Amino acid sequence: MIAFEHVGKRYGGRFEALANLDFRIERGEMVFLTGHSGAGKSSLLRLIMRLETPSRGRVLVAGHDIAKLHAGQVPFYRRQIGVVFQDHQLLFDRNIFHNVSLPLEIQGVEPREAARRVRAALDKVGLLHREKALPIELSGGEQQRVGIARAVVNKPAMLLADEPTGNLDPQLSADIMGLFEDFNRIGTTVMIASHDLALIARLRHRILRLRDGRLVADEGAA
Amino acid sequence: MKSKPSTTPRRSQGAAPKVVKTKRTRTRPTSAAAPRPARTQGPRRSSRLRAWGRHHRAMALDSLQRLVRTPLGNLLTMLAIAIALVLPAALWLTLDSARLLDAELEESATMTLYLDHGVSVAEAGRIDEALHANAGVISTRLIDPEEGMAEFQRSLGLEDALTGLEENPLPASIVVRPRSVEPTSMEQLAAELGELAGVEEARLDLAWVERLRHLAELGRRVALALGALFGLGVLLVVGNTIRLAVESRRREIEVVMLIGATHAFVRRPFLYSGAWYGLGGGLLAMGLLTLGNHWLSLPVAALAASYGASFSLPALDFLGSTILLSCSTLLGWLGAWLAVSRHLASIRPR
Repeated sequence: MIAFEHVGKRYGGRFEALANLDFRIERGEMVFLTGHSGAGKSSLLRLIMRLETPSRGRVLVAGHDIAKLHAGQVPFYRRQIGVVFQDHQLLFDRNIFHNVSLPLEIQGVEPREAARRVRAALDKVGLLHREKALPIELSGGEQQRVGIARAVVNKPAMLLADEPTGNLDPQLSADIMGLFEDFNRIGTTVMIASHDLALIARLRHRILRLRDGRLVADEGAA
Repeated sequence: MKSKPSTTPRRSQGAAPKVVKTKRTRTRPTSAAAPRPARTQGPRRSSRLRAWGRHHRAMALDSLQRLVRTPLGNLLTMLAIAIALVLPAALWLTLDSARLLDAELEESATMTLYLDHGVSVAEAGRIDEALHANAGVISTRLIDPEEGMAEFQRSLGLEDALTGLEENPLPASIVVRPRSVEPTSMEQLAAELGELAGVEEARLDLAWVERLRHLAELGRRVALALGALFGLGVLLVVGNTIRLAVESRRREIEVVMLIGATHAFVRRPFLYSGAWYGLGGGLLAMGLLTLGNHWLSLPVAALAASYGASFSLPALDFLGSTILLSCSTLLGWLGAWLAVSRHLASIRPR
């Protein structure tokens, strides 16, 4: 599904954010990405999202080198990846329903069909009763769940999350991770960057450990 | 423990994100990623077209609502656009009326043949008849010396001074309306008629007609130059307004680009805003022109009357209004396009 081939990323010619990353993630896998802040977790995710291209090596997604996508194709590639952000990137002038329906709007899904799918996604994260609320009226955990609903509403093949439990207490964090596991169970490839070591150790999935931009451990690989 | 991909249920139709390779796959950007309900599996092209139309409608409405939400600021922007449009439009209208005047002048383009002093009334009549035979002449009017004197007195208001003259100094004259009002052919005709026996001089006063034409040409060019300049002004006004709008919605743009919005999708609401600004500016400009017309029509009519002419300021007709409105809308759209395109390049999702 995702293959990194000797990938390196430099910023500004000097700072080496990632060096010689070489690993594969199979379809339907659930993988944690961990390491100290600054170890390169976000950079790695940005490469997969094609927000950046590697300075060296290749990133293959479904067998294609995504650096070769030209600018007009990138949006269509991104539509196939659901992304959950630490700061959830919700739009504060839209209510929950419209935040979640945003990816469907972008893809031009017919409104009735879109509404059905938005409600299904909100139901999945347990926020169906709050669809009319504005993001500001929700708690941090609820906002994150809205972010997850938005990431999965168009049923992406791949779900990326960057510190999805960063600001949440342990119980909420566990709930959120449980949601990701649910999506993984129906076949979605999931990759979660997190430094919540205690939590991810309990969950028993594959863990990629980064230090200073290098892959130092690949535990529990399939 | 490990995850067990082999035991995870696979989705039937390719869970792999299909990397978009060609334009063709744009028609089915998500079909490979997720099984879709049957309803959206219909004819792709038409459903995509419908989605496209739906987004256009939604954005046209949304941008209009945004305009209405802050009416004062947007009205000021439109007023700035209107003012920029009014000047060249007004100049153009004035020139248009000058063209009408020009046509009237052509109708009155005549030449005058002054006959020799010794020519009698009967001889003058014969010369007049001979002129009718000339192919270059449409009509003539014979003015005998008394008539000429009377006209002269009337036009100068010098009756008392002239009645003191012992004899009429004016010769008989014939006013000739030529078939062609082209300056060269009129000059030719004048030279030819000047040679006739009994004709002392053929006088052609074309200089002022020519001057007026040059003036009109000058005015047209000034109007075009002004139109171009003020059109640029409209672009800048709209561009700047849209630039601010883009800046204020920067976060939203970043988010939608993160989740796969195309540039066209991001641009669309701003293009509609620009077009609305242009249309609003055009409508205001029409209002201003009408107002100006009312304001000036009275003195203009009085002035024209004092010259013995009837002339009224031309108002914008249907065609003119359509042109004005489409130009302003197009300018607004273009200004928005330039601003958004320039700006989008600098917005990258974080």
